[in-house]
Amino acid sequence: MNVNLLTLSEVVDVSGEIGNFSVKVKQHPRYIDMEKCIACGLCAQKCPRKVDDEFNLGLNQRTSAYIKYGQAVPLKYAIDGETCIYLTRGKCKACEKFCPTSAINFEDQEQIIDLQVGAVILSPGFKPFDPSGFDFYGYRKIPDVVTSLEYERLLSSSGPCMGHLVRPSDHKEPRSIAWIQCVGSRSTNRCENGYCSSVCCMYAIKEALVTAEHTSGDGVRQTIFYMDIRSHGKDFDRFYEDAKAKGVRFIKARPHTIEAGKDNCGVTMRYACEDGKIMIENFDLAVLSIGLEPTADGKRLSDLFQLNLNQYRFAKTSDFSPACTNRPGIYVAGAFQTPKAIPRAVTEASSAAQEAATALIHARGDLTRSKTYPAERGIEGQEVRVGVFVCSCGINIAGIINVDEVARYARTLPHVALVENNLFSCSADTQEMMAKKIMEHSLNRIVIAACTPRTHETLFQETLQETGLNPYLVEMANIRNQNAWVHQREPEMATRKAKDQVRMAVAKAALSVPIERTKVSVVPKALVIGGGVAGMQAALSLADQNFQTVLLEKSDQLGGNAWKVNTTDQGEYIRPFLEKLIGRVESHPAIEVLKNARLTSAKGSVGSFTSEIQVNGASRDLTYGVAVLAVGGRETTPAEYLYGEDPRVVTHLELDALMRDDSAGLKKAKTTVFIQCVGSRDERRPYCSRICCTHSVKAAIHLKDLNPQMNVYVLYRDIRTYGEREDLYRKARDLGVIFIHYTPEQKPLVGREGADLTVEVFDPILRLPVSITTDRLVLAAAMEANDSKDLVELYKCAANADGFLNEAHPKLRPVDMAVDGLFVAGLCNYPKPLNETIAQAKAAAARAAVILSQTEMTLDAIKSFVTDKCDGCALCLDVCPYRALTLTDYQAGDGRTHLRMASDKALCKGCGLCSATCPKGGVYVHGFTMDQLRAQVIAALEDVA
Amino acid sequence: MQVAIRVGRLAQKLGVHRNTITNWINSGKLQATATVGKKYLIDKNLFLIFCREHGISENILQELIEIGPASPTGDDAITPTFHPKPKEVPMSAKPIGSVLVVGGGIAGMQATLDLANSGYYVHLVEKTAGIGGAMAQLDKTFPTNDCAM
Repeated sequence: MNVNLLTLSEVVDVSGEIGNFSVKVKQHPRYIDMEKCIACGLCAQKCPRKVDDEFNLGLNQRTSAYIKYGQAVPLKYAIDGETCIYLTRGKCKACEKFCPTSAINFEDQEQIIDLQVGAVILSPGFKPFDPSGFDFYGYRKIPDVVTSLEYERLLSSSGPCMGHLVRPSDHKEPRSIAWIQCVGSRSTNRCENGYCSSVCCMYAIKEALVTAEHTSGDGVRQTIFYMDIRSHGKDFDRFYEDAKAKGVRFIKARPHTIEAGKDNCGVTMRYACEDGKIMIENFDLAVLSIGLEPTADGKRLSDLFQLNLNQYRFAKTSDFSPACTNRPGIYVAGAFQTPKAIPRAVTEASSAAQEAATALIHARGDLTRSKTYPAERGIEGQEVRVGVFVCSCGINIAGIINVDEVARYARTLPHVALVENNLFSCSADTQEMMAKKIMEHSLNRIVIAACTPRTHETLFQETLQETGLNPYLVEMANIRNQNAWVHQREPEMATRKAKDQVRMAVAKAALSVPIERTKVSVVPKALVIGGGVAGMQAALSLADQNFQTVLLEKSDQLGGNAWKVNTTDQGEYIRPFLEKLIGRVESHPAIEVLKNARLTSAKGSVGSFTSEIQVNGASRDLTYGVAVLAVGGRETTPAEYLYGEDPRVVTHLELDALMRDDSAGLKKAKTTVFIQCVGSRDERRPYCSRICCTHSVKAAIHLKDLNPQMNVYVLYRDIRTYGEREDLYRKARDLGVIFIHYTPEQKPLVGREGADLTVEVFDPILRLPVSITTDRLVLAAAMEANDSKDLVELYKCAANADGFLNEAHPKLRPVDMAVDGLFVAGLCNYPKPLNETIAQAKAAAARAAVILSQTEMTLDAIKSFVTDKCDGCALCLDVCPYRALTLTDYQAGDGRTHLRMASDKALCKGCGLCSATCPKGGVYVHGFTMDQLRAQVIAALEDVA
Repeated sequence: MQVAIRVGRLAQKLGVHRNTITNWINSGKLQATATVGKKYLIDKNLFLIFCREHGISENILQELIEIGPASPTGDDAITPTFHPKPKEVPMSAKPIGSVLVVGGGIAGMQATLDLANSGYYVHLVEKTAGIGGAMAQLDKTFPTNDCAM
């Protein structure tokens, strides 16, 4: 309601400053009236003009009247003016003849829309690299060479081959597939994309694994040709190891030529192994793992908004404020800033939202509205009068099921007072009609036989609310997705099934009672646990949005790890930033900093938590609406390579300290060796610490700058300088830093010969062991999360096997935790560089602000409730995945105390596991009581008997 | 004193695109006059003031003069010395409580939802007929193999 979605639109002009921009948006004609279109699809069926479908990358065709994809938002068709026969040649109008709602409007014109906004967020995304310029890969010449995005569509069940993987040449299922990594990334030779695209290694592994699900039988062979496998995200390394265990072949090589196979089917590839042998191998299909490029739109927008771009034409931002551009009030998010995977795009989008919200804090709520409904009328004591609305969904349902027959049948059912058949039950005019009928016929239960409640229940609930009925008096029978769509060849059986579905829905609806949505009042205060950069940034961002914030720090100093690191990945000095940040946090009127503090209890749920806090030995209580967990992480102490035995062996943080305090000493060294993955990616910590490769490379450059004569070696497993950090890797190699690849089976050996410190490693190119005498050995010690077991226990939230606090969803909710009202930021979630930490902290503040900006929250009404029959056996306690149930004392009418369960409405998600477990009807879920389910089952079996 | 500077070389040193430098020059933010051979003449003092105002290391000028013309390949990476300091713009009496989001991919959608749910009206501008962006085209997402839809 508070979003104005302008599709087919582009920004053409902008003026003004932060707080007050004037923007001109050009909206291209859609030729279909969005108000009238009901997405029946007839226009596309009747449209005679076929063009390449850009959504499927031209692998199949669509018509000029089209919808982007089945689940598109808005779910409205459009006519492509450039190819439409009528619009280009003046004849046809087939769509107009068949459109059942007269939604086609060929008179539609381009419009200029003037908008006044306080801030702007730019997220134009990326462009997939086009490899047709690389003649040696034969893309577009050899049929069985596809890009990874095309392959994604080939795998998709909504793609051109409905998820049954076939190769383009002969439409047979490929049995051996090869992926070539870094096509259009990490290359300044054939293209100018010197950066790493960050996502291709992982998507290639994913495609390889998913391939097995899309092919028949066993024996499909997947091979990935790579330079370095960059699985640097949370649980990514497990995914990589899993792929290896499942037989995906990883070859460290870069095939230089692809030729067409026999009869132009399949491909032949030549590549050189690490030992120099030339291999020739045939594959049924080659997939080019294409990189992410900046878009032309990004360039156009940056010109329009006068933004700085970096040398690759991504938006230039500081590591300390990744969403801010050189212009106040203009923020960036997504791949426009640098290539990144979905979780980071989502996180940084939230952080951009936080920046915009803070800038416009004095106007919060000025332009937003919330919907109001008439007062609810009670139905207690009324005779049950069910209204059944059978939807035809254009021809979606009516084409298979005889809807008239279903409607006639529904009239014979008990309690049914009215039956109507609608062409489209969801259209705006039908909603109005439905509301009218409810009033006219005094209906008090509604059954909609149409599509899925997942997408449409809210719509019908709102219609009920408009008439003053409780929204939970509507029941849906899904006769489209669960019937018409799956029984297309058996219309008679489908009609019978539809009758069964309607009968079941009526039986259940007759027993429905009004349910009240719980309202929770929100305490407009936040608690932030952890006083490192993540915690401080989150606290500051919340306080800047006028929310009172309490910041807990277990030690006596704010700042955490940031004190020990010198520069960010872009080379910005951290110390001045840190000192400024601490100053702002400590002096902010809305922030209360509690040092030497820890949390000892946590009760309550989203909107209203209560905790006991120990500060300097004294205890106090705190009530708050949300909490941000930012307890941080630490560098581990290595247990190998003579660490602790020889003072010349140091960790990364110790090296940073030397850089600060003893540059002269560092400079004197003739040789420095770095060993990567010390304690990471092994059995104990099967994850990548993400930040060490960049740190080593950056440090190596620093040493070479200090003393160009120094011999610097980096012994690595995979160099993971993702994104534009790749520039550092290239620079280090140009400066003469020597990188030697080692495997976990042949780890480097560190020893002492007399006074000399020696490192022995097997060089895979020379095929010989190499011995290096070094003056200093730097170990890339693994990062681990600070212990958060007590917090996990108190808040009943979750951490993964490695001890990192878990987000609610690794892709789509990367800062929310599974417990509502809790958010996570920084190293305690996963190792990450400072810019990502700051973005995540700001994102946590943005997500928390969504809750804190409301005075009360309305929760869904489908929740568990305990009945009189509960005797406190607590069987349900163990099955509840949300820990919403607790065992309590209960004072019975006779004055005696019994045990009984209690359900916390804020924690319960209504999954029903408790109800299914309870042997005595002691706990039910609203809207799914035993009576209702029983009635449904009896109704289902009626026809059989 | 006037010094001659190449836009490409300066852009490379600051780690920005050369059009950005051209924009600065055209908008008068960086005062320079065009001269022969794609070079610009800049007053040394004015340039130093510019550097100070924008948090750029003042050594840059020295480096630009000493090193001379740019190598055409630009093989060295970004020198990260450029800190664009946001100007302290006095905000108009009361800001407008709405935000424009350009691009309806996963990032644009997330920013839109966060703002709309915390008290700001959002105009979401999308180029194509529907939102969803590149993520909608993916079959599954790593590492959980969840459906991208």
